[in-house]
Amino acid sequence: MPESKPGRFSLTRIAALAGITFTGLVRLKAFYFLLLFAFLVIGSSVFMAELTFQQEFQILKDVSLGAMSIFTSLLAIVATAQLIPRDLEDRTIYTILAKPVPRYEYLIGKLTGVLLLLALSILAMSALFLGLLFVREQIVVSATLRSSAGLPAAEVEQAVRTLKASAFNANLLPGIVLIYFKAALLAALTLFVSTFASSNIFTIVVMVFAYLIGHLQATARAYWLQEHGAGWLAHALLGFVALVFPDLQLFNLVDDIVAGTAIPLALFARTAVLGCVYTSVYLFFAWVAFHGKEL
Amino acid sequence: MSDVAVAVNDLTKVFPIPFRRSKVVAVRGLNLEVAPGQVYGLLGPNGSGKSTTLKIILGLVSPSAGTTRIFGRDSREVGSREGVGFLPENPYFYKYLTGEETLFFYGKLCGLRGAALRARTRELLTLVRLEAAKDRPLGGYSKGMLQRIGLAQALVQEPKLVVLDEPTAGVDPEGSREIRDLILDLKRRGITVLLSSHLLAHVQEICDRVGILAHGVLVREGRVDELLAIENQTELVLENVNPEVLAQIRRLLENTATRLVEERQPQTTLESLFLAATNGPPSP
Repeated sequence: MPESKPGRFSLTRIAALAGITFTGLVRLKAFYFLLLFAFLVIGSSVFMAELTFQQEFQILKDVSLGAMSIFTSLLAIVATAQLIPRDLEDRTIYTILAKPVPRYEYLIGKLTGVLLLLALSILAMSALFLGLLFVREQIVVSATLRSSAGLPAAEVEQAVRTLKASAFNANLLPGIVLIYFKAALLAALTLFVSTFASSNIFTIVVMVFAYLIGHLQATARAYWLQEHGAGWLAHALLGFVALVFPDLQLFNLVDDIVAGTAIPLALFARTAVLGCVYTSVYLFFAWVAFHGKEL
Repeated sequence: MSDVAVAVNDLTKVFPIPFRRSKVVAVRGLNLEVAPGQVYGLLGPNGSGKSTTLKIILGLVSPSAGTTRIFGRDSREVGSREGVGFLPENPYFYKYLTGEETLFFYGKLCGLRGAALRARTRELLTLVRLEAAKDRPLGGYSKGMLQRIGLAQALVQEPKLVVLDEPTAGVDPEGSREIRDLILDLKRRGITVLLSSHLLAHVQEICDRVGILAHGVLVREGRVDELLAIENQTELVLENVNPEVLAQIRRLLENTATRLVEERQPQTTLESLFLAATNGPPSP
Protein backbone atom coordinates (compact mmCIF):
# COMPACT_ATOMS: atom_id res chain seq x y z
CA MET A 1 0.00 0.00 0.00
CA PRO A 2 1.15 3.59 -0.62
CA GLU A 3 3.33 4.94 2.17
CA SER A 4 2.62 8.67 1.72
CA LYS A 5 -0.83 10.20 1.95
CA PRO A 6 -2.20 11.60 -1.29
CA GLY A 7 -2.79 15.33 -1.44
CA ARG A 8 -0.24 16.02 1.29
CA PHE A 9 3.11 17.54 0.48
CA SER A 10 5.41 14.69 -0.49
CA LEU A 11 9.14 15.03 -1.00
CA THR A 12 9.18 11.53 -2.55
CA ARG A 13 6.83 12.61 -5.33
CA ILE A 14 8.76 15.85 -5.88
CA ALA A 15 12.04 13.90 -6.00
CA ALA A 16 10.52 11.48 -8.55
CA LEU A 17 9.33 14.36 -10.73
CA ALA A 18 12.63 16.24 -10.38
CA GLY A 19 14.60 13.12 -11.24
CA ILE A 20 12.57 12.41 -14.35
CA THR A 21 12.83 16.07 -15.47
CA PHE A 22 16.57 16.15 -14.91
CA THR A 23 17.07 12.86 -16.78
CA GLY A 24 15.02 14.16 -19.71
CA LEU A 25 16.90 17.46 -19.85
CA VAL A 26 20.40 15.99 -19.81
CA ARG A 27 19.39 13.98 -22.88
CA LEU A 28 18.46 17.12 -24.80
CA LYS A 29 20.79 18.00 -27.63
CA ALA A 30 20.31 21.71 -26.83
CA PHE A 31 21.92 21.13 -23.42
CA TYR A 32 25.12 19.74 -24.96
CA PHE A 33 25.24 22.44 -27.65
CA LEU A 34 24.95 25.18 -25.05
CA LEU A 35 27.50 23.53 -22.80
CA LEU A 36 29.85 23.06 -25.73
CA PHE A 37 29.52 26.72 -26.73
CA ALA A 38 30.15 27.77 -23.15
CA PHE A 39 33.25 25.55 -22.98
CA LEU A 40 34.50 26.96 -26.29
CA VAL A 41 34.09 30.55 -25.12
CA ILE A 42 35.68 29.86 -21.73
CA GLY A 43 38.49 27.88 -23.40
CA SER A 44 39.11 30.56 -26.03
CA SER A 45 39.49 33.19 -23.31
CA VAL A 46 42.95 31.72 -22.69
CA PHE A 47 44.02 32.72 -26.18
CA MET A 48 42.42 36.16 -25.84
CA ALA A 49 44.29 36.58 -22.61
CA GLU A 50 47.59 35.88 -24.29
CA LEU A 51 46.97 38.74 -26.68
CA THR A 52 46.93 41.29 -23.86
CA PHE A 53 49.61 40.12 -21.52
CA GLN A 54 49.18 42.76 -18.78
CA GLN A 55 45.59 42.03 -17.88
CA GLU A 56 45.40 38.40 -18.90
CA PHE A 57 43.75 37.16 -15.72
CA GLN A 58 41.19 39.97 -15.80
CA ILE A 59 40.25 39.12 -19.39
CA LEU A 60 40.09 35.42 -18.60
CA LYS A 61 37.77 36.06 -15.65
CA ASP A 62 35.71 38.65 -17.51
CA VAL A 63 35.09 36.43 -20.55
CA SER A 64 34.57 33.23 -18.57
CA LEU A 65 32.16 34.63 -15.99
CA GLY A 66 30.28 36.49 -18.74
CA ALA A 67 29.98 33.26 -20.75
CA MET A 68 28.84 31.35 -17.67
CA SER A 69 26.20 33.98 -16.95
CA ILE A 70 24.83 34.10 -20.52
CA PHE A 71 24.86 30.35 -21.17
CA THR A 72 23.36 29.45 -17.79
CA SER A 73 20.58 32.02 -18.32
CA LEU A 74 19.96 30.74 -21.85
CA LEU A 75 19.89 27.15 -20.63
CA ALA A 76 17.43 28.06 -17.86
CA ILE A 77 15.05 29.59 -20.41
CA VAL A 78 15.39 26.96 -23.17
CA ALA A 79 15.20 23.98 -20.80
CA THR A 80 12.20 25.25 -18.84
CA ALA A 81 10.19 26.56 -21.80
CA GLN A 82 9.55 23.11 -23.25
CA LEU A 83 8.69 21.19 -20.07
CA ILE A 84 4.93 21.74 -19.77
CA PRO A 85 4.18 21.99 -23.55
CA ARG A 86 5.97 18.68 -24.16
CA ASP A 87 4.15 16.89 -21.34
CA LEU A 88 0.86 18.24 -22.72
CA GLU A 89 1.69 17.24 -26.28
CA ASP A 90 2.73 13.70 -25.26
CA ARG A 91 -0.20 13.43 -22.82
CA THR A 92 2.18 12.32 -20.07
CA ILE A 93 0.79 15.16 -17.96
CA TYR A 94 -2.57 13.34 -17.87
CA THR A 95 -1.04 10.16 -16.52
CA ILE A 96 0.87 12.15 -13.87
CA LEU A 97 -1.94 14.42 -12.70
CA ALA A 98 -4.49 11.58 -12.80
CA LYS A 99 -2.43 10.12 -9.93
CA PRO A 100 -2.85 11.70 -6.48
CA VAL A 101 -0.30 14.40 -7.36
CA PRO A 102 -1.17 18.02 -6.45
CA ARG A 103 -0.38 20.43 -9.26
CA TYR A 104 1.98 22.48 -7.10
CA GLU A 105 4.11 19.37 -6.57
CA TYR A 106 4.24 18.85 -10.32
CA LEU A 107 5.53 22.44 -10.78
CA ILE A 108 8.02 22.20 -7.90
CA GLY A 109 9.29 18.88 -9.27
CA LYS A 110 9.76 20.32 -12.75
CA LEU A 111 11.56 23.42 -11.45
CA THR A 112 13.76 21.32 -9.17
CA GLY A 113 14.78 19.21 -12.16
CA VAL A 114 15.84 22.35 -14.03
CA LEU A 115 17.70 23.67 -10.98
CA LEU A 116 19.64 20.40 -10.79
CA LEU A 117 20.54 20.73 -14.47
CA LEU A 118 21.67 24.32 -13.95
CA ALA A 119 23.75 23.26 -10.93
CA LEU A 120 25.42 20.55 -12.99
CA SER A 121 26.12 22.97 -15.84
CA ILE A 122 27.55 25.68 -13.63
CA LEU A 123 29.69 23.12 -11.80
CA ALA A 124 31.09 21.86 -15.10
CA MET A 125 31.73 25.39 -16.38
CA SER A 126 33.27 26.45 -13.05
CA ALA A 127 35.57 23.41 -13.07
CA LEU A 128 36.79 24.32 -16.56
CA PHE A 129 37.16 28.00 -15.71
CA LEU A 130 38.97 27.45 -12.41
CA GLY A 131 41.13 24.75 -14.00
CA LEU A 132 42.19 27.10 -16.78
CA LEU A 133 42.80 29.88 -14.28
CA PHE A 134 45.00 27.58 -12.24
CA VAL A 135 46.98 26.38 -15.28
CA ARG A 136 47.50 29.95 -16.52
CA GLU A 137 48.54 31.01 -13.02
CA GLN A 138 51.15 28.22 -12.85
CA ILE A 139 52.51 29.13 -16.30
CA VAL A 140 52.78 32.85 -15.48
CA VAL A 141 54.31 32.15 -12.05
CA SER A 142 56.94 29.86 -13.64
CA ALA A 143 57.72 32.51 -16.25
CA THR A 144 57.98 35.18 -13.54
CA LEU A 145 60.30 33.00 -11.47
CA ARG A 146 62.50 32.37 -14.51
CA SER A 147 62.69 36.04 -15.41
CA SER A 148 63.32 37.06 -11.79
CA ALA A 149 66.48 34.99 -11.39
CA GLY A 150 69.03 36.96 -9.41
CA LEU A 151 66.47 39.30 -7.77
CA PRO A 152 66.12 39.36 -3.96
CA ALA A 153 63.96 36.54 -2.60
CA ALA A 154 61.53 38.91 -0.85
CA GLU A 155 60.91 40.81 -4.08
CA VAL A 156 60.25 37.58 -6.01
CA GLU A 157 57.93 36.33 -3.30
CA GLN A 158 55.98 39.60 -3.38
CA ALA A 159 55.66 39.40 -7.20
CA VAL A 160 54.36 35.82 -7.03
CA ARG A 161 51.89 36.72 -4.24
CA THR A 162 50.53 39.63 -6.32
CA LEU A 163 50.19 37.36 -9.33
CA LYS A 164 48.30 34.71 -7.40
CA ALA A 165 45.98 37.27 -5.84
CA SER A 166 45.04 38.64 -9.24
CA ALA A 167 44.43 35.13 -10.62
CA PHE A 168 42.26 33.48 -8.01
CA ASN A 169 40.46 35.27 -5.21
CA ALA A 170 37.63 34.29 -2.92
CA ASN A 171 35.23 36.70 -4.67
CA LEU A 172 34.94 34.33 -7.61
CA LEU A 173 32.79 31.88 -5.66
CA PRO A 174 30.00 34.26 -4.53
CA GLY A 175 30.03 35.67 -8.08
CA ILE A 176 29.41 32.18 -9.50
CA VAL A 177 26.71 31.47 -6.89
CA LEU A 178 24.89 34.66 -7.88
CA ILE A 179 25.00 33.62 -11.55
CA TYR A 180 23.21 30.46 -10.43
CA PHE A 181 20.58 32.44 -8.50
CA LYS A 182 19.93 34.59 -11.56
CA ALA A 183 19.44 31.48 -13.71
CA ALA A 184 17.11 29.98 -11.08
CA LEU A 185 15.02 33.15 -11.11
CA LEU A 186 14.82 33.06 -14.92
CA ALA A 187 13.81 29.37 -14.84
CA ALA A 188 10.96 30.12 -12.42
CA LEU A 189 9.80 33.07 -14.55
CA THR A 190 9.95 30.87 -17.67
CA LEU A 191 7.89 28.19 -15.89
CA PHE A 192 5.28 30.83 -15.03
CA VAL A 193 5.12 32.10 -18.64
CA SER A 194 4.89 28.52 -19.98
CA THR A 195 1.78 27.83 -17.87
CA PHE A 196 -0.28 30.14 -20.07
CA ALA A 197 1.81 30.35 -23.27
CA SER A 198 0.47 28.75 -26.42
CA SER A 199 3.88 27.35 -27.49
CA ASN A 200 7.44 27.09 -26.21
CA ILE A 201 8.62 29.49 -28.96
CA PHE A 202 6.25 32.11 -27.53
CA THR A 203 7.67 31.46 -24.06
CA ILE A 204 11.25 31.83 -25.28
CA VAL A 205 10.47 35.10 -27.13
CA VAL A 206 8.73 36.54 -24.05
CA MET A 207 11.67 35.47 -21.89
CA VAL A 208 14.24 37.05 -24.21
CA PHE A 209 12.37 40.36 -23.82
CA ALA A 210 12.13 39.85 -20.05
CA TYR A 211 15.88 39.15 -19.96
CA LEU A 212 16.66 42.33 -21.89
CA ILE A 213 14.26 44.45 -19.83
CA GLY A 214 15.72 42.93 -16.66
CA HIS A 215 19.23 43.95 -17.66
CA LEU A 216 18.41 47.40 -19.05
CA GLN A 217 15.68 48.62 -16.70
CA ALA A 218 17.97 50.07 -14.03
CA THR A 219 19.91 52.14 -16.59
CA ALA A 220 16.70 53.16 -18.38
CA ARG A 221 15.08 54.17 -15.08
CA ALA A 222 18.04 56.30 -14.06
CA TYR A 223 18.12 57.96 -17.49
CA TRP A 224 14.36 58.63 -17.49
CA LEU A 225 14.38 60.19 -14.01
CA GLN A 226 17.37 62.32 -14.92
CA GLU A 227 15.85 63.58 -18.17
CA HIS A 228 12.16 63.87 -17.28
CA GLY A 229 12.12 64.48 -13.57
CA ALA A 230 10.31 62.36 -11.07
CA GLY A 231 6.55 62.79 -11.35
CA TRP A 232 4.36 60.45 -9.33
CA LEU A 233 3.11 58.75 -12.49
CA ALA A 234 6.64 58.09 -13.73
CA HIS A 235 7.61 56.80 -10.30
CA ALA A 236 4.58 54.51 -10.19
CA LEU A 237 5.17 53.17 -13.68
CA LEU A 238 8.89 52.62 -13.14
CA GLY A 239 8.18 51.09 -9.76
CA PHE A 240 5.73 48.67 -11.36
CA VAL A 241 8.25 47.66 -14.04
CA ALA A 242 10.92 47.22 -11.35
CA LEU A 243 8.57 45.03 -9.34
CA VAL A 244 7.47 42.78 -12.20
CA PHE A 245 10.84 42.46 -13.91
CA PRO A 246 13.74 41.80 -11.58
CA ASP A 247 16.77 44.02 -11.94
CA LEU A 248 19.10 41.36 -13.34
CA GLN A 249 22.05 43.75 -13.20
CA LEU A 250 22.00 43.28 -9.43
CA PHE A 251 23.21 39.72 -10.00
CA ASN A 252 26.01 40.87 -12.25
CA LEU A 253 29.07 41.29 -10.05
CA VAL A 254 31.56 40.33 -12.74
CA ASP A 255 32.96 43.86 -13.00
CA ASP A 256 33.66 43.97 -9.27
CA ILE A 257 35.23 40.51 -9.33
CA VAL A 258 37.43 41.34 -12.31
CA ALA A 259 38.50 44.61 -10.70
CA GLY A 260 39.39 42.60 -7.58
CA THR A 261 36.92 44.53 -5.40
CA ALA A 262 35.78 42.52 -2.41
CA ILE A 263 32.09 41.63 -2.45
CA PRO A 264 30.63 42.51 0.95
CA LEU A 265 28.86 39.62 2.63
CA ALA A 266 25.77 41.78 3.15
CA LEU A 267 25.54 42.54 -0.60
CA PHE A 268 25.94 38.85 -1.46
CA ALA A 269 23.31 37.79 1.11
CA ARG A 270 20.88 40.52 0.00
CA THR A 271 21.23 39.55 -3.67
CA ALA A 272 20.90 35.84 -2.89
CA VAL A 273 17.75 36.43 -0.82
CA LEU A 274 16.35 38.62 -3.62
CA GLY A 275 16.96 35.76 -6.08
CA CYS A 276 15.23 33.26 -3.79
CA VAL A 277 12.26 35.58 -3.20
CA TYR A 278 11.76 36.24 -6.93
CA THR A 279 12.09 32.50 -7.68
CA SER A 280 9.47 31.67 -5.03
CA VAL A 281 7.11 34.44 -6.17
CA TYR A 282 7.28 33.35 -9.82
CA LEU A 283 6.72 29.74 -8.76
CA PHE A 284 3.65 30.88 -6.81
CA PHE A 285 2.38 32.79 -9.89
CA ALA A 286 2.96 29.65 -11.96
CA TRP A 287 0.78 27.68 -9.53
CA VAL A 288 -1.96 30.36 -9.61
CA ALA A 289 -2.02 30.14 -13.43
CA PHE A 290 -1.70 26.33 -13.52
CA HIS A 291 -3.93 25.05 -10.70
CA GLY A 292 -7.15 25.71 -12.59
CA LYS A 293 -5.79 25.16 -16.10
CA GLU A 294 -7.96 22.99 -18.34
CA LEU A 295 -5.76 20.15 -19.53
CA MET B 1 -17.37 4.49 1.50
CA SER B 2 -19.94 5.19 -1.22
CA ASP B 3 -21.74 2.29 -2.90
CA VAL B 4 -21.29 4.05 -6.24
CA ALA B 5 -17.87 4.00 -7.92
CA VAL B 6 -18.51 6.97 -10.22
CA ALA B 7 -21.41 9.39 -9.91
CA VAL B 8 -21.96 12.13 -12.47
CA ASN B 9 -24.76 14.57 -11.66
CA ASP B 10 -26.13 17.24 -14.02
CA LEU B 11 -22.68 17.68 -15.55
CA THR B 12 -22.27 20.46 -18.08
CA LYS B 13 -19.05 21.65 -19.65
CA VAL B 14 -18.85 24.74 -21.81
CA PHE B 15 -15.62 25.75 -23.57
CA PRO B 16 -15.46 29.42 -24.55
CA ILE B 17 -13.82 30.04 -27.93
CA PRO B 18 -11.00 32.57 -27.51
CA PHE B 19 -11.49 35.97 -29.22
CA ARG B 20 -15.08 35.06 -30.14
CA ARG B 21 -18.33 35.39 -28.33
CA SER B 22 -19.46 31.86 -29.15
CA LYS B 23 -19.04 28.83 -26.93
CA VAL B 24 -18.90 25.08 -27.42
CA VAL B 25 -21.05 22.93 -25.16
CA ALA B 26 -19.04 19.72 -24.84
CA VAL B 27 -21.27 18.02 -22.25
CA ARG B 28 -24.86 18.97 -21.41
CA GLY B 29 -26.73 17.88 -18.27
CA LEU B 30 -25.09 14.47 -18.04
CA ASN B 31 -26.19 12.02 -15.33
CA LEU B 32 -24.73 8.57 -14.92
CA GLU B 33 -23.62 6.12 -12.28
CA VAL B 34 -21.10 3.29 -12.38
CA ALA B 35 -21.47 0.56 -9.78
CA PRO B 36 -18.38 -0.95 -8.11
CA GLY B 37 -16.97 -3.89 -10.06
CA GLN B 38 -18.81 -2.92 -13.22
CA VAL B 39 -17.28 -2.38 -16.67
CA TYR B 40 -18.97 0.69 -18.10
CA GLY B 41 -18.53 1.77 -21.71
CA LEU B 42 -18.96 5.34 -22.83
CA LEU B 43 -19.71 5.40 -26.54
CA GLY B 44 -20.18 8.14 -29.06
CA PRO B 45 -18.76 9.66 -32.21
CA ASN B 46 -15.74 11.99 -32.18
CA GLY B 47 -16.57 15.24 -30.40
CA SER B 48 -19.50 13.77 -28.50
CA GLY B 49 -17.96 14.65 -25.10
CA LYS B 50 -16.56 11.26 -24.02
CA SER B 51 -12.99 12.38 -23.34
CA THR B 52 -14.15 15.63 -21.71
CA THR B 53 -16.38 13.62 -19.36
CA LEU B 54 -13.50 11.30 -18.44
CA LYS B 55 -11.17 14.28 -17.86
CA ILE B 56 -13.72 15.95 -15.57
CA ILE B 57 -14.09 12.71 -13.61
CA LEU B 58 -10.29 12.66 -13.22
CA GLY B 59 -10.10 16.31 -12.14
CA LEU B 60 -8.09 17.35 -15.21
CA VAL B 61 -10.85 19.67 -16.40
CA SER B 62 -13.31 21.64 -14.24
CA PRO B 63 -17.06 21.29 -14.79
CA SER B 64 -19.04 24.39 -15.76
CA ALA B 65 -21.96 23.00 -13.76
CA GLY B 66 -22.78 19.81 -11.91
CA THR B 67 -20.58 17.42 -9.96
CA THR B 68 -18.60 14.24 -10.44
CA ARG B 69 -17.69 11.93 -7.58
CA ILE B 70 -15.39 8.94 -7.27
CA PHE B 71 -16.39 6.60 -4.45
CA GLY B 72 -18.20 9.52 -2.86
CA ARG B 73 -15.34 12.03 -3.08
CA ASP B 74 -15.51 15.12 -5.25
CA SER B 75 -13.28 14.67 -8.33
CA ARG B 76 -11.71 18.07 -7.76
CA GLU B 77 -10.04 16.78 -4.58
CA VAL B 78 -6.58 15.37 -5.25
CA GLY B 79 -7.28 12.61 -2.73
CA SER B 80 -10.17 11.30 -4.86
CA ARG B 81 -7.56 9.95 -7.30
CA GLU B 82 -5.88 7.80 -4.64
CA GLY B 83 -7.57 4.69 -5.98
CA VAL B 84 -7.78 5.64 -9.64
CA GLY B 85 -5.69 4.55 -12.61
CA PHE B 86 -5.90 6.29 -15.98
CA LEU B 87 -4.74 5.43 -19.47
CA PRO B 88 -5.25 8.30 -21.93
CA GLU B 89 -5.80 7.89 -25.65
CA ASN B 90 -2.54 7.31 -27.60
CA PRO B 91 -0.23 7.93 -24.64
CA TYR B 92 3.46 8.66 -25.14
CA PHE B 93 5.42 8.14 -21.97
CA TYR B 94 8.98 9.34 -21.38
CA LYS B 95 10.74 7.60 -24.27
CA TYR B 96 14.13 7.50 -22.57
CA LEU B 97 12.84 5.44 -19.64
CA THR B 98 12.72 1.64 -19.76
CA GLY B 99 9.47 -0.19 -19.01
CA GLU B 100 10.67 -0.96 -15.49
CA GLU B 101 11.82 2.63 -14.82
CA THR B 102 8.44 3.90 -16.03
CA LEU B 103 6.61 1.76 -13.50
CA PHE B 104 9.07 2.81 -10.76
CA PHE B 105 8.33 6.46 -11.59
CA TYR B 106 4.54 6.10 -11.47
CA GLY B 107 4.79 3.91 -8.38
CA LYS B 108 6.76 6.62 -6.57
CA LEU B 109 4.10 9.17 -7.53
CA CYS B 110 1.60 6.91 -5.76
CA GLY B 111 3.76 6.71 -2.64
CA LEU B 112 5.26 3.24 -3.24
CA ARG B 113 8.86 2.68 -2.26
CA GLY B 114 11.58 0.07 -1.82
CA ALA B 115 10.75 -3.63 -1.86
CA ALA B 116 7.00 -3.02 -2.24
CA LEU B 117 7.58 -0.94 -5.37
CA ARG B 118 9.96 -3.51 -6.87
CA ALA B 119 7.55 -6.37 -6.16
CA ARG B 120 4.59 -4.49 -7.63
CA THR B 121 6.62 -3.59 -10.74
CA ARG B 122 7.57 -7.25 -11.30
CA GLU B 123 3.96 -8.31 -10.82
CA LEU B 124 2.68 -5.76 -13.33
CA LEU B 125 5.34 -6.55 -15.94
CA THR B 126 4.25 -10.17 -15.72
CA LEU B 127 0.57 -9.24 -15.93
CA VAL B 128 1.06 -7.22 -19.13
CA ARG B 129 3.61 -9.71 -20.49
CA LEU B 130 6.49 -7.25 -20.79
CA GLU B 131 9.09 -8.96 -18.56
CA ALA B 132 11.33 -9.58 -21.57
CA ALA B 133 11.16 -5.93 -22.63
CA LYS B 134 11.48 -4.37 -19.16
CA ASP B 135 15.02 -3.09 -19.77
CA ARG B 136 14.27 -1.58 -23.20
CA PRO B 137 13.59 2.17 -23.52
CA LEU B 138 9.96 2.93 -24.38
CA GLY B 139 11.17 4.65 -27.57
CA GLY B 140 11.60 1.14 -29.00
CA TYR B 141 8.19 -0.18 -27.91
CA SER B 142 5.45 -1.00 -30.43
CA LYS B 143 2.06 0.66 -30.16
CA GLY B 144 0.57 -2.41 -28.45
CA MET B 145 3.44 -2.59 -25.97
CA LEU B 146 2.99 1.10 -25.13
CA GLN B 147 -0.69 0.50 -24.45
CA ARG B 148 0.20 -2.43 -22.20
CA ILE B 149 2.83 -0.48 -20.23
CA GLY B 150 0.24 2.30 -20.05
CA LEU B 151 -2.25 -0.08 -18.55
CA ALA B 152 0.42 -1.30 -16.11
CA GLN B 153 1.14 2.25 -14.91
CA ALA B 154 -2.60 2.78 -14.48
CA LEU B 155 -2.69 -0.28 -12.17
CA VAL B 156 0.47 0.49 -10.20
CA GLN B 157 -1.21 1.49 -6.92
CA GLU B 158 -3.82 -1.29 -7.10
CA PRO B 159 -6.65 1.11 -7.97
CA LYS B 160 -10.33 0.42 -7.36
CA LEU B 161 -11.29 2.30 -10.50
CA VAL B 162 -9.51 2.23 -13.88
CA VAL B 163 -10.39 4.81 -16.51
CA LEU B 164 -9.41 3.97 -20.09
CA ASP B 165 -9.79 6.44 -22.95
CA GLU B 166 -9.85 4.53 -26.24
CA PRO B 167 -7.59 1.76 -24.89
CA THR B 168 -7.38 -0.07 -28.23
CA ALA B 169 -6.99 2.95 -30.54
CA GLY B 170 -4.35 2.25 -33.20
CA VAL B 171 -3.59 -1.26 -31.88
CA ASP B 172 -3.64 -4.30 -34.19
CA PRO B 173 -6.25 -7.06 -33.61
CA GLU B 174 -3.88 -9.20 -31.56
CA GLY B 175 -2.84 -6.31 -29.32
CA SER B 176 -6.44 -5.27 -29.10
CA ARG B 177 -7.41 -8.77 -27.97
CA GLU B 178 -4.68 -8.68 -25.31
CA ILE B 179 -5.98 -5.38 -23.93
CA ARG B 180 -9.50 -6.78 -23.96
CA ASP B 181 -8.35 -9.83 -22.01
CA LEU B 182 -6.59 -7.60 -19.48
CA ILE B 183 -9.80 -5.61 -18.98
CA LEU B 184 -11.74 -8.83 -18.46
CA ASP B 185 -9.10 -9.85 -15.92
CA LEU B 186 -9.64 -6.56 -14.06
CA LYS B 187 -13.35 -7.26 -14.05
CA ARG B 188 -12.71 -10.72 -12.55
CA ARG B 189 -10.67 -9.06 -9.79
CA GLY B 190 -13.60 -6.76 -8.96
CA ILE B 191 -11.96 -3.58 -10.28
CA THR B 192 -14.38 -1.01 -11.69
CA VAL B 193 -13.57 -0.04 -15.28
CA LEU B 194 -14.86 3.04 -17.07
CA LEU B 195 -13.83 3.15 -20.71
CA SER B 196 -14.54 4.96 -23.93
CA SER B 197 -14.10 3.18 -27.22
CA HIS B 198 -14.96 3.18 -30.88
CA LEU B 199 -14.62 -0.60 -31.15
CA LEU B 200 -18.25 -1.48 -30.61
CA ALA B 201 -17.65 -5.23 -30.87
CA HIS B 202 -15.22 -5.09 -27.95
CA VAL B 203 -17.50 -2.88 -25.91
CA GLN B 204 -20.34 -5.31 -26.49
CA GLU B 205 -18.12 -8.18 -25.40
CA ILE B 206 -16.69 -6.70 -22.20
CA CYS B 207 -19.05 -4.03 -20.88
CA ASP B 208 -21.86 -4.66 -18.44
CA ARG B 209 -23.43 -1.31 -19.11
CA VAL B 210 -23.02 1.39 -21.74
CA GLY B 211 -23.95 5.02 -22.23
CA ILE B 212 -24.16 6.54 -25.69
CA LEU B 213 -23.27 10.22 -26.01
CA ALA B 214 -24.16 12.42 -28.97
CA HIS B 215 -23.42 16.17 -29.04
CA GLY B 216 -22.68 16.07 -25.32
CA VAL B 217 -26.04 14.52 -24.40
CA LEU B 218 -26.57 10.99 -23.09
CA VAL B 219 -29.01 9.58 -25.63
CA ARG B 220 -29.13 5.92 -24.49
CA GLU B 221 -28.02 4.20 -21.32
CA GLY B 222 -28.46 0.76 -19.82
CA ARG B 223 -27.30 -2.85 -19.60
CA VAL B 224 -25.74 -4.07 -22.85
CA ASP B 225 -27.95 -7.19 -23.13
CA GLU B 226 -31.09 -5.11 -22.53
CA LEU B 227 -30.17 -2.43 -25.02
CA LEU B 228 -29.28 -4.91 -27.75
CA ALA B 229 -32.24 -7.25 -27.29
CA ILE B 230 -34.94 -7.09 -29.99
CA GLU B 231 -37.87 -7.58 -27.71
CA ASN B 232 -40.30 -9.24 -30.14
CA GLN B 233 -37.79 -11.74 -31.54
CA THR B 234 -36.24 -14.99 -30.23
CA GLU B 235 -33.12 -16.63 -31.61
CA LEU B 236 -32.66 -20.44 -31.67
CA VAL B 237 -29.23 -21.88 -32.43
CA LEU B 238 -29.45 -25.58 -33.32
CA GLU B 239 -26.58 -28.02 -33.64
CA ASN B 240 -26.60 -31.17 -35.88
CA VAL B 241 -30.08 -30.37 -37.12
CA ASN B 242 -31.27 -32.36 -40.14
CA PRO B 243 -33.50 -30.96 -42.97
CA GLU B 244 -36.50 -32.96 -41.77
CA VAL B 245 -36.50 -31.33 -38.34
CA LEU B 246 -36.17 -27.92 -39.96
CA ALA B 247 -39.11 -28.67 -42.23
CA GLN B 248 -41.19 -29.67 -39.19
CA ILE B 249 -40.34 -26.43 -37.43
CA ARG B 250 -41.33 -24.42 -40.51
CA ARG B 251 -44.64 -26.33 -40.77
CA LEU B 252 -45.29 -25.76 -37.08
CA LEU B 253 -44.90 -22.04 -37.58
CA GLU B 254 -47.19 -21.87 -40.62
CA ASN B 255 -50.41 -22.00 -38.61
CA THR B 256 -49.36 -19.43 -35.97
CA ALA B 257 -48.86 -15.65 -35.88
CA THR B 258 -45.09 -16.26 -35.63
CA ARG B 259 -43.03 -15.23 -38.64
CA LEU B 260 -39.67 -16.82 -39.47
CA VAL B 261 -37.50 -13.74 -40.07
CA GLU B 262 -34.20 -15.36 -41.01
CA GLU B 263 -32.58 -18.74 -41.29
CA ARG B 264 -28.79 -18.82 -41.52
CA GLN B 265 -25.62 -20.48 -40.31
CA PRO B 266 -23.92 -18.72 -37.36
CA GLN B 267 -20.61 -17.15 -38.33
CA THR B 268 -17.35 -16.59 -36.54
CA THR B 269 -16.06 -13.02 -36.27
CA LEU B 270 -13.50 -11.56 -38.64
CA GLU B 271 -11.28 -10.96 -35.59
CA SER B 272 -11.35 -14.64 -34.58
CA LEU B 273 -10.60 -15.64 -38.16
CA PHE B 274 -7.68 -13.18 -38.31
CA LEU B 275 -6.24 -14.36 -35.00
CA ALA B 276 -6.57 -18.01 -35.96
CA ALA B 277 -4.87 -17.35 -39.31
CA THR B 278 -2.00 -15.40 -37.71
CA ASN B 279 -1.54 -17.91 -34.83
CA GLY B 280 -2.97 -15.53 -32.27
CA PRO B 281 -4.47 -16.67 -28.99
CA PRO B 282 -7.60 -18.77 -29.46
CA SER B 283 -10.96 -17.20 -29.03
CA PRO B 284 -12.42 -17.96 -25.58
